[in-house]
Amino acid sequence: MQLTGSHVLNAPVSKIWGMLMDADTLAQVVPAVSRLEKTGDNEFKAIAEVKIGPVSGSFSGDLSLADIRENEGYTLHVKQNSKIGNADASVAISLKPITDSQTEVSFDGNARLSGLLARTGQRVISGVANTLTRQFFDNLEQAINENP
Amino acid sequence: MSNKFIGQSVKRLEDKRFLTGKGRYTDDINLPGMLHAHFVRSPYAHARVQSIDTTEALAMEGVVAVFTGDDVKELNGVPCGWQVNFRNGETMREPKHPMLIATGDTAKHVGDPVAVIIAETKSIATDAAEAVMVEWEELPAIASPADALKPGAPKVHDQYPDNKAFDWTFGNPVEEVDAAIESAAHVTTLEFVNQRVVPNAMEPRAYIGHYDTVSDKYTLYTSTQNPHLIRLLMCAFVLGIPEHKVRVVGPDVGGGFGSKIYHYTEEALVTWASKQLGQPVKWTSDRSEAFLMDAHGRDHVTKAEMGFDADGNITGLRIKTIANMGAYLSTFAPAVPTYLHGTLLQGVYTTPKINIDMTCVFTHTVAVDAYRGAGRPEATYLLERLIDLAALEMGKDPAQLRFQNFIPPFDGVTQPGYQTQVALQYDSGNYHPVLEKGLEMLGYDDFRQAQKEAAQSNKLLGVGISTYIEACGIAPSAVVGALGARAGLYESAQVRVQPTGKVSVFTGSHSHGQGHETTFVQVVADKLGIPMEDVELVHGDSDTVAFGMGTYGSRSLAVGGSAIMKSIDKVLEKGAKIAAHKLECAEGDLEYGNGKWTVKGTDKSIGFGDVALTAYVPHVYPAGLEPGLDFSSFYDPANFTYPFGCHIAVVEVDKETGKVTLKRMIAVDDVGNIINPMIVEGQIHGGLAQGIGQALLEGTIYDENAQLTNGSYMDYCMPRADDLPMFETANQTTPCPHNPLGVKGAGEAGAIGSTPAVVNAVIDALWSGGHQVKDILMPLTPERVWRAMN
Repeated sequence: MQLTGSHVLNAPVSKIWGMLMDADTLAQVVPAVSRLEKTGDNEFKAIAEVKIGPVSGSFSGDLSLADIRENEGYTLHVKQNSKIGNADASVAISLKPITDSQTEVSFDGNARLSGLLARTGQRVISGVANTLTRQFFDNLEQAINENP
Repeated sequence: MSNKFIGQSVKRLEDKRFLTGKGRYTDDINLPGMLHAHFVRSPYAHARVQSIDTTEALAMEGVVAVFTGDDVKELNGVPCGWQVNFRNGETMREPKHPMLIATGDTAKHVGDPVAVIIAETKSIATDAAEAVMVEWEELPAIASPADALKPGAPKVHDQYPDNKAFDWTFGNPVEEVDAAIESAAHVTTLEFVNQRVVPNAMEPRAYIGHYDTVSDKYTLYTSTQNPHLIRLLMCAFVLGIPEHKVRVVGPDVGGGFGSKIYHYTEEALVTWASKQLGQPVKWTSDRSEAFLMDAHGRDHVTKAEMGFDADGNITGLRIKTIANMGAYLSTFAPAVPTYLHGTLLQGVYTTPKINIDMTCVFTHTVAVDAYRGAGRPEATYLLERLIDLAALEMGKDPAQLRFQNFIPPFDGVTQPGYQTQVALQYDSGNYHPVLEKGLEMLGYDDFRQAQKEAAQSNKLLGVGISTYIEACGIAPSAVVGALGARAGLYESAQVRVQPTGKVSVFTGSHSHGQGHETTFVQVVADKLGIPMEDVELVHGDSDTVAFGMGTYGSRSLAVGGSAIMKSIDKVLEKGAKIAAHKLECAEGDLEYGNGKWTVKGTDKSIGFGDVALTAYVPHVYPAGLEPGLDFSSFYDPANFTYPFGCHIAVVEVDKETGKVTLKRMIAVDDVGNIINPMIVEGQIHGGLAQGIGQALLEGTIYDENAQLTNGSYMDYCMPRADDLPMFETANQTTPCPHNPLGVKGAGEAGAIGSTPAVVNAVIDALWSGGHQVKDILMPLTPERVWRAMN
């Protein structure tokens, strides 16, 4: 599943960076993740609810941040297992200032699916990817508005 | 023999229970104290089991046991029943197919099991499976058979770095075929894929293993096409249990299409687990597991070349094919692309030079084995696509090109059988009239006119012809033994006349939808001249039926029915001795008919029931004759049988959307003598639907990690009634000269002939619209057809 997208948000780079480095905000904006528990430096245990086509399930897995470049971006690794299959995603998130109060947030990566997820979800996968992308930016926008 | 029942469309006796929901399938059987199994399966196509932790699952209430690969490491894997060696003499590579993957070993396809939970209920077992912690090391995987041969491809079995199971060549020497192709006036070349399909039996596989601690005997209830074969494979090769301690019962079976021939790991595992626990253990596949675990069909990648002289006579056929075996060699897998495929490449044509070069490869997918037709649909698809395409390329009429190349008629009695270039000798054939009949039913000349007119409209019309032949009645033991079969493929039958003249017939054939309980009873009742209700067919139980090789390869009537005929002959021969004694005449003075022996030229007679009673109450009895009237027979066929026919498809192709609508499907089949025309027609209908399904709708899709991405009915398109026209069927009868009923078999014909007919029709439609495409990948979805036109 290819995951790409970019969107210009009304907030300075430093503010968005701060939010993306905060576990609670991250839990709020990463689609489907309901909770993040810190387990180490930039490592978290993630609880997620995912619905792809006919299958839905609760995932638990690991989320980690790597290749961290302050105010520029990082790579988000998500590795989750569940009864409906496993997902392994790697997404590079990058920030680019447009103006002092505007930042372009973009990401590029892919998720490998296995098990029931792979077997029954493929028809709807691009639709799901689009939805997840939209959700990510909507969530981020909302988080910015909630923390002026 | 009175023909009161043979040839009649007697309604199926078994349908009363099936249609009223009273069929008794394996999953309907519940034994006292029965436990339920659920398998923990690999979510990856290729991954190493680094560790497995069952502690949490074992602690769950209701969980009785959890077995892992480490617990069954000492047991053998499930065996392969056919050996085809490399052309250079190297032995076929036969990797172990373990029941569960042990720690440190690798799962080799999605679904490969690593553990089994045995619990008090199915839902507890399913829940506990989630509590089994498996640490996987995911490894690169490959699903495409062509890619598996490329250097650097992920290895399925480390010991076989080139991923080859074996390679094979067959037919005339390749130099002779090369010469024929090179000197041809026209060569038609076609590169194509015969895609992988999922068998989709309506009843999923189900097994109950039951070890009885008192008698020290095992019973396995199994949804199988051949109970005795399963007993042989499981006892002798996997579990090492003596056969007399094992009873295998195949109750009602809801479809198989080949997928229930094979011995599966789950079958052996529930039997073994029952012994460990002293309680019966049941496992029933769910539909997702069926997609992952039931042996798939087809999966060939082929380049084929057919040479013609200037007059359009075929001069040579050269084929290079890669066949996917999956990760392990299933029971019959090596036979399918080789001896059930290469041997059929003569088709119904006089092609003088034929050679096939076959490479069979391992991939990270579930095993591929026989699926309705097994090798013969692949051969027919290849030949019939080539000849139709050749006609288009040469500007000839596809029907005339066939007529010109047909093998002339031969009855196999006064004329000898036809010796092909690929080992087989056809028994009897008359190919010209089935095509003539098909064209007449179609109204061929009118169709071509309508096609010309349609070419100007938005909907193109096309016609596709397929004149197939198959080798059925599998199989003469000596022949298949020489070709690598590790079992004989004869059949056994017992005809037990009860004291009152009622008859129990025991057959090693096993119906999984074919209507044996009707057809076989029709044969016996007619031959003995007694009412059908006086005859009962017993099948599917290794404790009641002496032996059997089961049902596949359109063999039941041709082989199993012939065994029954042998026992009936023995019954009548002994009955005549008893009758002669009672009537005080010589045996030679008697004739048998209408259920009684009559002294020729007189009205003195004795009924079948009186003779039966005398045999069991032998107070007035021939000296030296044993009491009883009960005979067993084994029948080993002299040759395969060779049904043939002509299938014609008419399609409409929407120029704007690429959607193909099948307008007509005509099938003229010659399956030899017919016992029950309604059942034969039903078999043809089912086969046509499956063949059309492959052409237009079905096919697996694997992603780059060898994950099956359409493993459900929401994603894998099965043919439905509204995809199909009303079928137009007809029969021709050329009896089989070498079996007593003159029957050839009808179970696979529909699936063999129809697929190329439909694809040919679409190609023909596209050519009529000026799109000179050679091939479209099956299934012919609207997108693929549209792309071919744009």
